[in-house]
Amino acid sequence: MSKNNSYRILNTRLPRVDAIDKVTGKAIYTDDMSFPGMLHGAILHSPLAHAKILNIDTSRAERLPGVKAVVTYKEAGTRPYGVSPARYDETIFCHDKVRYTGDEIAAVAAVDKDTALEAVNLIKVDFEELPILLDGLHAMDEGQPQLHERYKNNICAKVNWHFGDIEQGRKDSHIIRTDHITSKMQDAAFLEPQSVVAEVDSHGNLTMWSSTQAPHYVQRTLAMALNMPLHKVRVIKPAVGGGFGPKASCSTVELATCLLALKTGKPVKTTFDREQVFLHSRARHQFFHTMTTGVKKDGTLSFLEHHCIMDGGAYSSFGIAAVYYAGSLLGGPYRLKNMKYDGYRVVTNKPACGAQRGHGAVIARATFEVQLDRIAEELGMDPIELRLKNVMEAGETTCNELYVSSFGMKEALEAVRDSAAWKKKRTLAGKTRGTGKGIGAACGFFVSGAGYPIYRSKTYHCTVVTKVDEVGGGVTVTSGAADIGQGSDTVLAMITAEELGLNLDDVKVVSGDSSLSVDLGAYSSRTTLMTGHACKDAARDIKRQILEVIGGKLNIPPEKLDLKDGKVVGINNDIDFSALREEYLQEHKGFTDLPDGPELTFREASRIAFLEIGSVVGTGSYRPPKLGGSFKGATVGTSPAFGCSAQVAEVSVDLETGEVTVDNITGAHDCGFAINRTQVEGQMQGSMMMGMGEALMEQIIYNDKGRIMNANLAEYKIPTSLDVPHLDAIIVESNEPHGPYGAKEVGEGAIMPVIPSILNAIYDATGVRIDELPVTPERIIEALKKKRENK
Amino acid sequence: MILPEFDVLVPNTVAEACGMLSKYADKGVRILAGGTDLLVDLRRPIVPSEISSCDGCATHKTGNVRSTIDCGWWESDSSPESDRALLKKVQDSIHQYPGYLISIHRIKELRGITTNEKGSLRVGAMTTVTEIERSDIIREKWTALAEGADSLGSPLVRNRGTIGGNIANARPAADTFIPSVALDGVLVIQSEKASRKVSVDKFATAPGKTVMEEGEIITAIEYPAPPEFSGSAYYKLANRKALEICNVGVAVWIALEKPGGPVADIRVALGAVGPTPILAESVKKVLIGKKPDEEIIKKAAKAARDDARPIDDHRGSAWYRSMMVELVTDRMIRLAVKRAEGEA
Repeated sequence: MSKNNSYRILNTRLPRVDAIDKVTGKAIYTDDMSFPGMLHGAILHSPLAHAKILNIDTSRAERLPGVKAVVTYKEAGTRPYGVSPARYDETIFCHDKVRYTGDEIAAVAAVDKDTALEAVNLIKVDFEELPILLDGLHAMDEGQPQLHERYKNNICAKVNWHFGDIEQGRKDSHIIRTDHITSKMQDAAFLEPQSVVAEVDSHGNLTMWSSTQAPHYVQRTLAMALNMPLHKVRVIKPAVGGGFGPKASCSTVELATCLLALKTGKPVKTTFDREQVFLHSRARHQFFHTMTTGVKKDGTLSFLEHHCIMDGGAYSSFGIAAVYYAGSLLGGPYRLKNMKYDGYRVVTNKPACGAQRGHGAVIARATFEVQLDRIAEELGMDPIELRLKNVMEAGETTCNELYVSSFGMKEALEAVRDSAAWKKKRTLAGKTRGTGKGIGAACGFFVSGAGYPIYRSKTYHCTVVTKVDEVGGGVTVTSGAADIGQGSDTVLAMITAEELGLNLDDVKVVSGDSSLSVDLGAYSSRTTLMTGHACKDAARDIKRQILEVIGGKLNIPPEKLDLKDGKVVGINNDIDFSALREEYLQEHKGFTDLPDGPELTFREASRIAFLEIGSVVGTGSYRPPKLGGSFKGATVGTSPAFGCSAQVAEVSVDLETGEVTVDNITGAHDCGFAINRTQVEGQMQGSMMMGMGEALMEQIIYNDKGRIMNANLAEYKIPTSLDVPHLDAIIVESNEPHGPYGAKEVGEGAIMPVIPSILNAIYDATGVRIDELPVTPERIIEALKKKRENK
Repeated sequence: MILPEFDVLVPNTVAEACGMLSKYADKGVRILAGGTDLLVDLRRPIVPSEISSCDGCATHKTGNVRSTIDCGWWESDSSPESDRALLKKVQDSIHQYPGYLISIHRIKELRGITTNEKGSLRVGAMTTVTEIERSDIIREKWTALAEGADSLGSPLVRNRGTIGGNIANARPAADTFIPSVALDGVLVIQSEKASRKVSVDKFATAPGKTVMEEGEIITAIEYPAPPEFSGSAYYKLANRKALEICNVGVAVWIALEKPGGPVADIRVALGAVGPTPILAESVKKVLIGKKPDEEIIKKAAKAARDDARPIDDHRGSAWYRSMMVELVTDRMIRLAVKRAEGEA
């Protein structure tokens, strides 16, 4: 599909504004930064998964030549912090005990990295080992080791929801099935490890450059945990090499590096080793889902009863949101009147889990979509037909009060069905099941920006200030939005260029700085919709001001003027701009590249506007309206809009070795309106590969002491370029009424159908269901063996 | 990556390298070829992988690295210099770090792929995996070795990694080691005083351990000329298509008396199913002198399975590996037979 509208910039395939800098190595990432006199930080991580700290002796580290500061909880204090105010359960450094292998105990600043690392090894910690809890499934059982006093039976958060009437749903059902799926903890495997540079100026202002997704939240946490006024803390995000969720919260490496800068008065840089990325984690939880679903004879869904235990590792992080998302996002994309959800997030002696693309909802979605396939088989129905029978349409509200204002679910399903020649390939299913070739489908549903901030507040979710160059010609967009590689700077530039009739090269975007504006950051797939709104309003504000000046000078009502192709144009094309041209030329004697021709250029108009009214600054602010129901936890899962997606995966499985080759993935995603078609496809393709890795390869492996056995990218497997199948990304545009130009999310929603479509295809290919992720060759062979033995 | 301190020596000839090897033997010395294994081995983990108890100390029930040496150290009053020395001792106690690396990249005689008039192959120890992968003669006549090179690591690793290093590292899953066993490779090993030859299948004694002695260096690997009606094949079973450590790797070399005819000789090498790559001797008894039909190949694959000694680890379980040895051996014998007959 291609562009079919009058936009000049939007909906095209313009290259990203940061593309050339990134491919030529010119882009500056945090670890590229250096300051005169800069010190290097290192962190002491716990070698034990669960132990009391009896004593910390830093004396030898302190006297190592080159060491400038050693900090522990004694310097950092024990003010609790975290992601959600209801679950502040971390301190900058451990003081009473360590709760996972890797828990942070102390930090050192020294003249170079080697000295800092050496000093860390000179810190002596006396531990008293405590029993270790690694089994999330049984963490709530009686007699298990307890991690936190406040989390009785290791339950960090629980959700008990009941919408509609499950019992009635049960009575209405023709078929009722119960299925389980469990997964493993995962790593987000972003390319750039966390890196931080912190500096304090002579006025006591702390500036931190960090590889973060959310400068605003990090600024708040730094101020809170370091006991500083918010306005004295500034967080800047240089170029970032991916985040996917784990970089959305403030981390110990950020806090410790700031603390070292405050203590030494010198700039300090700390960059994680890949091993530390795994130790810090904050990535995907481990899930144990059990779902019972009932359907009527005709395939109409009658109820879903969902039980989930999530192993979240040692601390809460984003886990409290994750446990809600795991339940709430099953409210769509199907009509489901009755839904019960009991979710438990438990703590164990493993690195803390947080948010990762698709947040808490990915494995829940996989479990449900696999179950729908099994139900379709029992009903003798085509799995896509079963889904089409149940999909919601725009204007409907889910049983948990999520309103979908636009919804191209049906279109997306039909698009993948037709594009992948589903009907033709599927009719063979009866005959080919278990012969090694398989095809599977699934759908997904996701928020387009969280309806509420993480901390309770009336705050605007984002603001944009756009200023016209006072010399005329270009504009600068300033925003706190965080481009972490997803391309939000390009989206802001394109929106501004479209509104002002400019080329992309005349729009500068300065972003990712907490001192520029409040922006909640790159998480929950919010930036295009939310910051996009603010950006559009700021551009329109400028346009209005410029056209008012020009109209005033020419005695033409501004609404009869427009900005197009870098020029001011009259609706009737009959305006004489010569007086304004003369004014501009008077200003630029001696210049040679002066405008000519009958039209007034944006360069002239913007300069004349400045001469008339001073700085031309446009502003835009956005916050969603009040959303959601009034039940406990109703805010999580709300969004001004919802994205939806469908996917068909085709696989080949070697039935003797269990090796899986994904041959084709056809995905369709309803993003409302594609601001940049190539970027939308890129998000979809990235989601397909990330989901494929999660389905087939990715798992953190722990030994019995709670130590990660594969804390590196050689042994933690993600797909390589050779594993990438043929990918077909289809854009569906449903014109979202609450999105700028009709746009909504694609960043996370696109991953939702990936895992289940591959699982369903593997079933088709093998005739066996694997209920433990990832589906490794060994697990397939094990399942095939069991099937043969049961015959 | 955090590396310990070491000096790098750069000899120009094999003789010079051998001299350095004996001279610095007591300081701890390692040969640096491509470095793709060595530098990973030398890397100091952020969190030490071994946590020792604090022996003889009642107060510290457990400790981290720092407690591995006598507790008295902590109480004693000492200088930063001795802190440093003690720290090194602690680090050395958990990991043997060499004081010297001998980088052999300048030694020209260690490079190159050549065949002699008898048709046998000599591959210099410093020949990169990429060079092997791209050699037409190896792909044609020692196919299993080319296939091993194809499957090793990623292009970056193959560009740096060498066959000598891959074999000397003596890992049971090494992708050029396993086919070299099947192809009856012989290592040419040089020391200051003498030169000797060791069959690849007798080279490794345990993971990371070999028959090499102090002062020795591998200079080349020699492979006999393949007779008429012979062929070879290698397959690596893994979870993804590149950058993998094999779960099971099987290399087969087979020689037939004539197409379709009885098996003159066979060598099957099994990887990742024992402490070293294994030459499955039992297969010979089953196949030699027999017509390689489906049934006898099945028997031979079973024999290979019996020769394997897989274990459970975080990469896979013993039962799966055991099953896969049989399956992949079966497939590879059939493929090698086809190649021997000029069909594939």
